[in-house]
Amino acid sequence: MLTVLLSVLIVSSVSAGLALVLVVADRFVANYGECTITINEQKKLKVQGGKNVLAALTEEKLFIPSACGGRGTCGYCKVRATEGAGPVLPTETPFLTPKEIEDNVRLSCQIKIRNDLKIEIPEELLAVKEYEAVCSRITDLTYDMKHFHFELRDPPTIDFVPGQYIQLLCPQYKGNREEVYRAYSVASDPADKTIIDLIIRRVPNGICTTWCFDFLKEGDTVRFNGPYGEFRLSQTDAPMIWVAGASGMAPFVSLLYQMRNERITRPTTYFFGGNKVKDMFYLDRMRAFEKELPNFRFVPVVAAPDEGEQWDGERGLVTQALERADADLSGHEGYLCGSPGMIDAAIKVMNQLGIPNERIFYDKFE
Amino acid sequence: MERLPQEKRLDYLLRSSKIVAEGFLGDDARSLEEIIETDISALVHMGCTPEQVAERMQELTAIAVPHMGNPVRIDDWLEVVSQDYKGQIICPWPHPVRLPKRVTTARRLDTEESIRWSDLNIHMIAEHGFFEGHGSAFRIEPALLVRVIFEDFAGPV
Amino acid sequence: MSINAQLWTAAVTCFAAIFTNNILLMYFLGMCPFTSVSREVKTAFGLGVAVVFVMTCTAILNWVAYRYILVPLNLEFFRFIMFIIIIAAFVQFVEMVIDRYSPKLYYALGIFLPLITVNCAILGASLFMIIRDYTFIVTVGYGLGSGLGWLLAIMSMAGIRQRLAHARIPRGLDGPGITLIIAGLMALAFIGFTGVLG
Repeated sequence: MLTVLLSVLIVSSVSAGLALVLVVADRFVANYGECTITINEQKKLKVQGGKNVLAALTEEKLFIPSACGGRGTCGYCKVRATEGAGPVLPTETPFLTPKEIEDNVRLSCQIKIRNDLKIEIPEELLAVKEYEAVCSRITDLTYDMKHFHFELRDPPTIDFVPGQYIQLLCPQYKGNREEVYRAYSVASDPADKTIIDLIIRRVPNGICTTWCFDFLKEGDTVRFNGPYGEFRLSQTDAPMIWVAGASGMAPFVSLLYQMRNERITRPTTYFFGGNKVKDMFYLDRMRAFEKELPNFRFVPVVAAPDEGEQWDGERGLVTQALERADADLSGHEGYLCGSPGMIDAAIKVMNQLGIPNERIFYDKFE
Repeated sequence: MERLPQEKRLDYLLRSSKIVAEGFLGDDARSLEEIIETDISALVHMGCTPEQVAERMQELTAIAVPHMGNPVRIDDWLEVVSQDYKGQIICPWPHPVRLPKRVTTARRLDTEESIRWSDLNIHMIAEHGFFEGHGSAFRIEPALLVRVIFEDFAGPV
Repeated sequence: MSINAQLWTAAVTCFAAIFTNNILLMYFLGMCPFTSVSREVKTAFGLGVAVVFVMTCTAILNWVAYRYILVPLNLEFFRFIMFIIIIAAFVQFVEMVIDRYSPKLYYALGIFLPLITVNCAILGASLFMIIRDYTFIVTVGYGLGSGLGWLLAIMSMAGIRQRLAHARIPRGLDGPGITLIIAGLMALAFIGFTGVLG
């Protein structure tokens, strides 16, 4: 009996003693204390050590792009770490080119904060904020495209350059247990800072578009952050050729508002392509813009109208319509928005028509 | 046998909706290894390899892509159409593969059978022998695939 | 035994533990990480050093715990539980230190670092020292020797496997199959050391 009690006592006290030692060790060894992250040599953030840079920056409301939530599978969260980031981990090397490794480019979700750090991120990321908004109107545009109108709540206004996009937070819903962010171009008038419009096309088995189409209702609150992106009107006076397909219409709507507000009179031809007549939308809106902007011409192109469908406009692929349009476009600038396939095809045609790559602008949404 | 952390992670990514809504395994309760083995044996039984079918799928997609969503006929017996969407999709395996979100649908004009696949399907079949689990939205049935894309396999298998 | 005799015995025991009584190749303890982490010499070296450190220190700690806690209280039968608790706590500590000071090694070892806890070679070394009734100094020598023997075995295995990486091995044998065959051949080679120290 005594042996039993004694053995239990001994084992318990030894275990407790060792546990205590571990707790103390943890406080000293694993405690990285407060560390300072210096961003772009100007901003200084004090963060608690032990977490990764992406998480720390997100907590401080600095949004580094990420598609995988910090799990090291997307490679979007690259930052330049000039000091204090430690050695490159095997989880990062598949995503970094040798030049990037040489330049100290790292995946911020894989850098554990153990001491003071110095990092560099693109300037516009410092202007990115998180927004809360209410979806006040959902309109069907075509069988697979909807228009979403959001009224901002907190903060109540947004400043964006037409052509930029936001990252919409898709929450958990039936069948989807993870939150994801997806990028959508803003389609609204930049002068109205209290609202944003999005044009979204359903992607088969897509996480976010399934939620937007089947679950999001008028009156629901959403979260997004932004604005991101370098796609915008150039500062020159050059005439422009725009090519878009499907939801690629979105940023051009915003650009048209900008041209109207700022009285930009650059000659612009906008080729908008779709497969069938039912893929066309906003035709009336574009006609209205044509009236307001004398040098703007809208050219909708339907690839293969069905028998019996009424269509008097251009036919064929949008790139074919572009080829037919004009001979020498060497003084023009090209603006593209649409699927990767359409963008690649349009770039080829534009090159053939005399527009060099340096004067073709697009957001590839990588 | 104790599963390696990498295997557990792969299984988690495949079942979760981190990459596609409803994951890659649908309602299939089998292990990944079992699913892959069953599908590959089905293919071998029909006399072809995953690399062969992936090559043919890639060929068909390449023919369809320049037509940007409009159907194109191949040799009178097959029609393919390819639609792509903004953004990229990552492969759940631990290598940095990112592919366009592109869906190709192929339809045999004689039997009216059709099948659709994404660029990610082509990669997963070629590199991992993975046709997705039963019940998944982009599950590729090996028998149906072979019947549609290869001219000589028109008969019942 | 006098201190000098003990030191000499410790040295002999150390040498024996590395070659003639190699805990992995003679007693087949610690095979699990041996077959899994032995693909690259660098990682094998990292794990091997960790095992040497853990084996030596836990042998010492366990000797002290046995001699000054269990024996006086007649609780010798409790050594299995006691040793495991001490080993587990110690490995946790080592994990923390490696994570802090060498994140690359921490990541490379992955799950196998906490698995050192259940590496039967570690517990085996502590139990052997009890069975063979080693003194403190001899225990130090034995723990160190066992660890070094394990390190030697895993590094040799890694070297051999790295050489074999581009060899054409029959598909059925690839992986664990060929690894165990190699381990068997290495064990045969080490048996050649028997009788070296008379």
